[in-house]
Amino acid sequence: MRAAYLWLARIITLLVVIQAMSISWAYFGVNQYLVKDGGTLDKAAIESETLDFPGVVGFAVHGIAGERVLPVVALLLLIVSFFAKVPKGVVIALVTLVLIVAQIAVTMMGRADIGLFHGLNAFLIFGAAMAAAMKAKEPSAAAAA
Amino acid sequence: MNSRTRLVVACIATLAVVLPLGWMWQRSLMPDTYSVAEMGYPDYGMNAKGKPLPTPSASTHGHGAPRTAKNKGISIATLVEPSKKAADVVVDLTAQEGTFPLAGQEFEGFVLNGKTPGPDIVVKQGELVEVRLHNENVADGVALHWHGIDVPNAEDGVAGVTQNAVVPGKSHTYRFVAEQAGTYWYHSHQVSHEQVAGGLFGSLVVLPRGGIRVRHDLTAVAHTYDGRRTLNGRTGDLHEVARPGEKVRLRIVNTDDATVSTWSSAPYRVAAIDGYDLQGETVVKGKRLEIPAGGRADLDLTVPAKGAARVQVGAATAYIIGPRESYPERPAQPVKALDLLGYGKGSADMPKPNRVFDYSIGRRPGFIDGLPGYWWTINGHMWPNVPMFMVRKGDVVKFRIENHSGQAHPMHLHGHHALVTARNGKPVKGGPLWVDTVDVKDGETIELVFRADNPGIWMDHCHQLPHATEGLVAHLMYEGYTTPYKVGGKTANQPE
Repeated sequence: MRAAYLWLARIITLLVVIQAMSISWAYFGVNQYLVKDGGTLDKAAIESETLDFPGVVGFAVHGIAGERVLPVVALLLLIVSFFAKVPKGVVIALVTLVLIVAQIAVTMMGRADIGLFHGLNAFLIFGAAMAAAMKAKEPSAAAAA
Repeated sequence: MNSRTRLVVACIATLAVVLPLGWMWQRSLMPDTYSVAEMGYPDYGMNAKGKPLPTPSASTHGHGAPRTAKNKGISIATLVEPSKKAADVVVDLTAQEGTFPLAGQEFEGFVLNGKTPGPDIVVKQGELVEVRLHNENVADGVALHWHGIDVPNAEDGVAGVTQNAVVPGKSHTYRFVAEQAGTYWYHSHQVSHEQVAGGLFGSLVVLPRGGIRVRHDLTAVAHTYDGRRTLNGRTGDLHEVARPGEKVRLRIVNTDDATVSTWSSAPYRVAAIDGYDLQGETVVKGKRLEIPAGGRADLDLTVPAKGAARVQVGAATAYIIGPRESYPERPAQPVKALDLLGYGKGSADMPKPNRVFDYSIGRRPGFIDGLPGYWWTINGHMWPNVPMFMVRKGDVVKFRIENHSGQAHPMHLHGHHALVTARNGKPVKGGPLWVDTVDVKDGETIELVFRADNPGIWMDHCHQLPHATEGLVAHLMYEGYTTPYKVGGKTANQPE
C-alpha cells in the first residue's frame, strides 16, 4: 500500500507538470493562430469545438487531466492513505484533494483574475504531492514503534 | 491502535468516501425510456409578492390537476394546426446524411434537399404553411423545430416531447400559420447538438402583409462547419450588387452554438430582433451587435454614396452590399456592444405577471446518467431532477433567469415570445424587446414576461446545444396536458 501511495503521489506531481506544459502549449498555439496566421477567435469559434491550430490539443489535455484524471487520482491517494501507514499520509492526501477541488471550483468561476490564484495553487498541489511522496519514503510510524 | 483496528478504521473510512459517490452515481442512472412530463418536480412558481402559489388539488379535473396524479389530461398530440384548409405554401424537405461539397471542400454532415443550409423558406404573413419532412437516410432520425415561430405544440418538432423522431424512410408533416412577420429559422431537434452543428437547418422568413420597403431583402445564415465560418454555406464574403442610396435589410441568423457579433462599415439600425420589430430605433455607429446562439437580428442600412457597405458577421465572414467593383476593407471590430435593453423607445402592452418563476443556472460536479462531470444546475438541481415550470392558460408569467454558472447561456423558450423587462433588477429603459432567445451572461439576472397563451409542453433550454446535453434543459408545462411521447428506449427520441 505504501508503494501505491508513493506512486499515486508521484503521478500527481507528473500530472501537474503536464498541466503546465499543456496549457502553455495551447496558449502559444492561440498566439500563433491569431498573431502569425491571422486567424479569428470568438465564442462561436470556441463553442463549435472544431478549432484547429497547433497546440489546440493542449486545451483538451489540460481539461481532461485537470477535471477528470487529477481528482480521481487524488481520491485514490486518499483511499490508499487509510491503509498505507504513511506518517501524516491521510492529512497530506486530504490536503492534496482539497487543493485540486479548489482548483477546479475556481476555474468554473471563469474570471480573469482567478488565473493568478490558479497558477499559484498549481504549485501548492505540486508541493503537497511532493510532500506525500517524500513522507511515503520515510520509515512508517508502525515500523518505528 | 493495533493493526486489526486500524484495518477496520481504514475500511470504514474508505466506505465513507466511496459509498456516497456510489449512491450518487446509482441515483443518477436514468431509466431506458422516460417521459419529460414525469421528469423532475413540479414548480408552480410564486405570486407577484414572492409567496409560493398553491399546488392544485387532485380532485379538480383537467386544468389544475397535478401531473403527479394519475390524471390523463389532454394529449398534446391533439394540439395541431386547427385549420384543415389546403396550405398556401407547401415545402418538401428531404434530410440526408453523408459527405457533401461545401464551399469548395468535402464536408461530412447533413443536408436538406441536397444542401446546407437547407432551402430558404419565404412565406407571406398569414399564410398556412405545410412542410413535409422526409428522412432519406439519417440513421438517428430527424425532427424539425420552427425556431421563433409560435406554432401549436404538436407542430413544434421536438423529438420525444411533441413528436417521435422521423426514422429513415418515413415522413412527417408540419402545418402552421405564419402569423408573425419576421426572421426565423428551422433546425433539427433530434440529437440537435450534432445535427444542427452538422447542417440540418435553414432560414424561414415571413414577409409582412404590406411587403417591406427595401430594394434588397437579404438573409445571412451564419454557421461554423468543422471550424469553417460561413454565410449561407460560403466562406469569406458574399456580394450583393446595389446602387448608392438603395435601402437594404439584412436578416442575420446565428445558427452557431455561441454569440456572434456583427458590425458594419455603414451606419445601421436594428429593425427587428427574433422576428419582432423594434420601436423608435436609432442609427448605430461604431458599435457591434451581439446575436445570441439561435437568435436573429434584422439590420436596416443604406448603400453609401461612395463604395459599398460591408457588414461583418464575425471577423471571418461579411456581406458586401454595393457596386460590383467595390470591396471595402474589413472594418475593425468595435469594442463596445450595442445594449439592446437601452435601445429604441416606446412601451409594450403587458399586464402584471401573476406567476413568477426563478430559473437559476449554476454548475457543480456530479453524475448525470452515471457519467461524472461538471454539470449545469437549474435552481440547484441537476438534470433530470429539474423543475417542471407549471402554468395555466391565461397566466402572465415572469421568469427571473439568474446565472452564476461561470459562462453565458443563450436561453431559448419554445412556443412563446417574451418581453425583456429587467436586468439585474433594473427595469429596461429602451423600447420593448421581444425575444425567443436571450443571452444571460455570468453574474446577470434577466427578467422575461410572457403570456401563457399557447398550451402544451415546451422546452425551455440553453441554445448552446451541447449545454442542453449537459443538463441545461427544463420544460414549461400547461396544467392539464400530457404527452404520449417518450425519450430513449425503442423510440429513437433524443431531443438534445
